[in-house]
Amino acid sequence: MALFDVSGYKSHSELRGQILGTGVGHLIDRPNQQFSVPVGVDPSGFLKSCSREGGVSIDLNHGTTTLAFTFRHGVIVAVDSRASAGSYIASKEANKVIEINPYLLGTMSGSAADCQYWERLLGKECRLYKLRNKQRISVSAASKLLCNMMLGYRGMGLSMGSMIVGWDNKGPGLYYVDDNATRLSGRMFSTGCGSSYAYGVIDSGYREDMTVEEAYELGRRGITHATHRDAYSGGVVNLYHMQEDGWIKVCKEDVSELIHRYRKGMF
Amino acid sequence: MALQDLCGFKDSRWNFPDSILPFLSFPPGFPPSSSPSVPLPFPMSHGTTTLAFMFQGGVIAAADTRSSCNGLVACPASQKILPVHSHLVGTTSGTSADCALWKRILARELRLYQLRHGRRLSTAGAAKLLAHMLHPFKGTELCVAATLCGWDGCELVLSGPSLYYVCSDGTRLQGALFSVGSGSPYAYSVLDGGVRWGLTVEEAISLAREAVYRATHRDAYSGNCVDVYHITSHGWTRRDREELREEYYREKEREKVKAHRGCEGSSSPLGSAEAAGLDEDVRALSISLHMLEALCLSGDKRGMICQ
Repeated sequence: MALFDVSGYKSHSELRGQILGTGVGHLIDRPNQQFSVPVGVDPSGFLKSCSREGGVSIDLNHGTTTLAFTFRHGVIVAVDSRASAGSYIASKEANKVIEINPYLLGTMSGSAADCQYWERLLGKECRLYKLRNKQRISVSAASKLLCNMMLGYRGMGLSMGSMIVGWDNKGPGLYYVDDNATRLSGRMFSTGCGSSYAYGVIDSGYREDMTVEEAYELGRRGITHATHRDAYSGGVVNLYHMQEDGWIKVCKEDVSELIHRYRKGMF
Repeated sequence: MALQDLCGFKDSRWNFPDSILPFLSFPPGFPPSSSPSVPLPFPMSHGTTTLAFMFQGGVIAAADTRSSCNGLVACPASQKILPVHSHLVGTTSGTSADCALWKRILARELRLYQLRHGRRLSTAGAAKLLAHMLHPFKGTELCVAATLCGWDGCELVLSGPSLYYVCSDGTRLQGALFSVGSGSPYAYSVLDGGVRWGLTVEEAISLAREAVYRATHRDAYSGNCVDVYHITSHGWTRRDREELREEYYREKEREKVKAHRGCEGSSSPLGSAEAAGLDEDVRALSISLHMLEALCLSGDKRGMICQ
């Protein structure tokens, strides 16, 4: 920019590059945001040594169940609430849905720290977008922002599987964004290690023209059956409904009570 | 046994009373008593979906028919449910060759038992026998995970349906519902939601088909067709094999029809309550149609179709 040139302003990254020379001295995903790390640190190299080929095995599993599906009357988002650290249950009432703004929701699976940080950052970017452009950010753009953030740190050990849910001019929107920077638009997603159990239930009961109550019940059932079989999911079902004028939180029900209700009549 | 003595085959590990494995010519020292396990080239997971559950009408066993070999579909029409005798059926998962061989060995041993003792061995006994036969191979690459589904009819044991899960790593579990394989999580959630003791036979068969269908829909290593066996006090019966591709197209058709009906319904001046009632009727009708289709489109051997 002209003013920069005239005033001789050098940005932080340029200065550091001059001092330290070329080489990995910082991690950048956006021009004015970076993590400063000690020189010589190479996260990707370090992580390779932690993978199975290197001998040690640090498995980054997404220990949760979250699901979301679109239907005629909007988008249903349902998540469990168990936060686990290995085999220890760190929290039975973790909040895995981040309310970015009244018309945008993000779910979290994977490393809790990564999800919370990056999705709050996404919230900040969405707010800045609205202030700069005087209109709400679209779901597609919001998910793309998150995806690009992930791309900047690809291979460095982030663990995040998230669904961005919202309602914009194009109607209800559902995107799946991954720590590998996968970004997929779809009608139905489920993430986490309990996702396969949830898929069985929601595949089997899903119809595009469901009523709202049926959709709530399907979301609850999906999470409940997944928590029944998966050890890393449990707690309560947090159910959200994304409607045209914003999201509403439908319910927060304990899965132990729900599973007894559903399995009445079993052995 | 005579042949063993002639060959000078000596192995003190074999203490089974009936010398279960006399003529399988193992090289001396096999199975190795301390076997250093050969590292597998890739982590094996049982690429299949099989399930079995008990209910008031007996036991239902269902499985897909896809045999995969590291990304290639080696056989789209394999049989994963192998009858062991008239009242016992075993689902197989793991290495196809191992499962086929051990099922045949089990069938032979059960027949010998029946001839010697004049009655059939119970499912619990068969499970115990299989587990003990597989035990010497623990730590090797043998991979068999089977559920034995049978009906015990003898006076000495409790009569009725019986279901056991036996695995080559030594697990032997009794239960009311099992699903094995890479597609099992998808099947488990569908079964958990629907299995009850009081199911009718048609409902149970339809539920088993639905569970396998959902698993094949999501799991890459399961697919092609579904086999359903039903075991009662009269023995096992087998439904004709059904292509799941047809099921997928039928479901797509149903969705299309419902979408049309939904559009018509919303444009009519019905109140919301009546519209909801209409939806329910449509749904109820479509569910019963689904089950009728399921029965009529593939009959079973005993001719229990309603025409």
